Amino acid sequence: MSSATAQASKTNWADDVEDQEFPSMEVITNADGTKTVIENRLNEDGKRVRVTRKIQEKIVQEHVNRAVAERKQWAKFGQLRSDGTAKSSVATTIGEVVELRLSQYAAQMKQQEIEAAEQEKAAAVKSSKILCRVCRGEHFTAKCPYKDTMTSAEDILGGGAAAPAAEEAKAGGPNAYVPPHMRAGAKAFGAGGRAAGSLGAGDARGDGRRDENPTIRITNLSEDTLEADVNQLCRPFGPLARVFVATDRSTGYCKGFAFVSYYDHESAEKAIAKLNGHGFDNLILSADWANGGK
Amino acid sequence: MRPLLLQGHERPLTQIKYNRDGDLLMTVSKDKIANLWYSHNGEHIGCYVGHLGALWTVDCNKTSTLVITGAADNTARLWHAETGRMLHTWDLPTAVKRVEFSHDDQYVLMVTEERMGHKSGIYVFAIGISRPEQSDEPIVILRASGAKPTVAAWSYLDKFIVSGHEDGSLSLYDWRNEEVVQTAKAHDSIITDMQMWKDGTYFITSSRDMTARLFETATLEPMKIYKTDAPLNTATMTPTQDLVILGGGQAASEVTTTSSRQGKFESRFFHKIFEDEVGRSRGHFGPINTLAVQPDGKGFASGGEDGLVRVHHFDPEYFKFKYDY
Repeated sequence: MSSATAQASKTNWADDVEDQEFPSMEVITNADGTKTVIENRLNEDGKRVRVTRKIQEKIVQEHVNRAVAERKQWAKFGQLRSDGTAKSSVATTIGEVVELRLSQYAAQMKQQEIEAAEQEKAAAVKSSKILCRVCRGEHFTAKCPYKDTMTSAEDILGGGAAAPAAEEAKAGGPNAYVPPHMRAGAKAFGAGGRAAGSLGAGDARGDGRRDENPTIRITNLSEDTLEADVNQLCRPFGPLARVFVATDRSTGYCKGFAFVSYYDHESAEKAIAKLNGHGFDNLILSADWANGGK
Repeated sequence: MRPLLLQGHERPLTQIKYNRDGDLLMTVSKDKIANLWYSHNGEHIGCYVGHLGALWTVDCNKTSTLVITGAADNTARLWHAETGRMLHTWDLPTAVKRVEFSHDDQYVLMVTEERMGHKSGIYVFAIGISRPEQSDEPIVILRASGAKPTVAAWSYLDKFIVSGHEDGSLSLYDWRNEEVVQTAKAHDSIITDMQMWKDGTYFITSSRDMTARLFETATLEPMKIYKTDAPLNTATMTPTQDLVILGGGQAASEVTTTSSRQGKFESRFFHKIFEDEVGRSRGHFGPINTLAVQPDGKGFASGGEDGLVRVHHFDPEYFKFKYDY
């Protein structure tokens, strides 16, 4: 008997929970005349949501002329599509609050706002060591007064000033970002500074390791040269450690040059000897040491 | 103020209009539908269905019993306002860009487009409210000698028809005698909207030359200029408070520099007499194509390129605004 009641109470408990959570709408009239409407429903994610609204109803009497009052009784029309289904897209919602502040100084205030924003921008620019690429001034390149001319930094400042300016830009202050190829101890360009896909391995190793291998540079490649082509071209001279073909990011075309690293020096020598002046895809290739005379 | 958002159109709005009593709002759009709403709460009443092309214009008579629409399907149609029944179709040579009932509701003017060899014109038809049949014969067709008319309106006592043209000029027609009484160079670019003051003695025009101007009807003399920084699509005048509201696109300079927050297209409020900008109301997600003010001055509505109609009811602060001079 006890087990029977235990079972009965178990099912009751489960039912109770469902009932409690789920009356769909309750309206409670409060003492001060407001209404509290409690709604339990499922929201979009299928979760149970309990919405409590406190509503004060006020009846406003409006005097309108008779025609207006008659029009309030008009029946709805034209709301069905040709096949009889309702047009679901018609809706009226209440938008967000919009402020309309009328003031005869509105134009002036707008002007002040714009000026303040511009000043902020200029201050931000000044403090972050923005240097123009054209004249090394403290502004964005696009805002440079010399933007349209073809002068370079040296011309504007007069030779000697350019070098110390470049130095300053390099150091950039204690916290400025210095790109890897400009850091102290970076290997010279052409010793293979970038992590491009190598022979199928495709992983980016650390900077220092790359290119103790002898590396040659091949130039005057055609636009549709792929890494596979360069592989094929250079493989006969020995096993390839790394192949990097320079491509334009946006178009995907080859930029015209490539770097190939062999494991041993003889292969690289042979490759240069054979490929320099070699005809490939209607162009005469040039091949040389990547670091200049190794 | 909390505007009501009326979503009833899927394409850009071309014109919205209140009826004379201000309790109804008609909206038309390029989606071939004309909608009727209660202006007070934005409740949708019905759709006038039947046009085969984008609707350009709408108007209703003073007793709110007839609605007329003009569309790109080369027709203008007359509707029974209450039931949505199509009463009559006028076939015209080209698209109808503007329709307007005369002040006494006896006539309607229609501005037609210039296309494929057909010259544009302003047609005047008689409206017979007591008889079921409408006349298909225009009383008069007014042809412009210069640029094509884009907008037109009836003057005081329906004595004249004023039209605004593609090159920014205005023409005053004594339409009963088919005469051009006056022309004037008004704007530097196409006139996009013309709204007449309720007694027909002056009107406001908006143009893509980034200004709106006020003109006296009888003489076409310029009275006021309201300068903005964006091409304007529409302009309207408030019956109280001496304000004009202008709506349009976005200034080219603002396109990239403003934040990416949406809802930044604004209706601009100017003082009608002092020509000063006094405020802006933002919220549209696209250029504002049409503006209308509730005839009692207690609210206004805007229709935008985004397909939304925003109906605003002014806060009490709006009515306290006074311009110091």
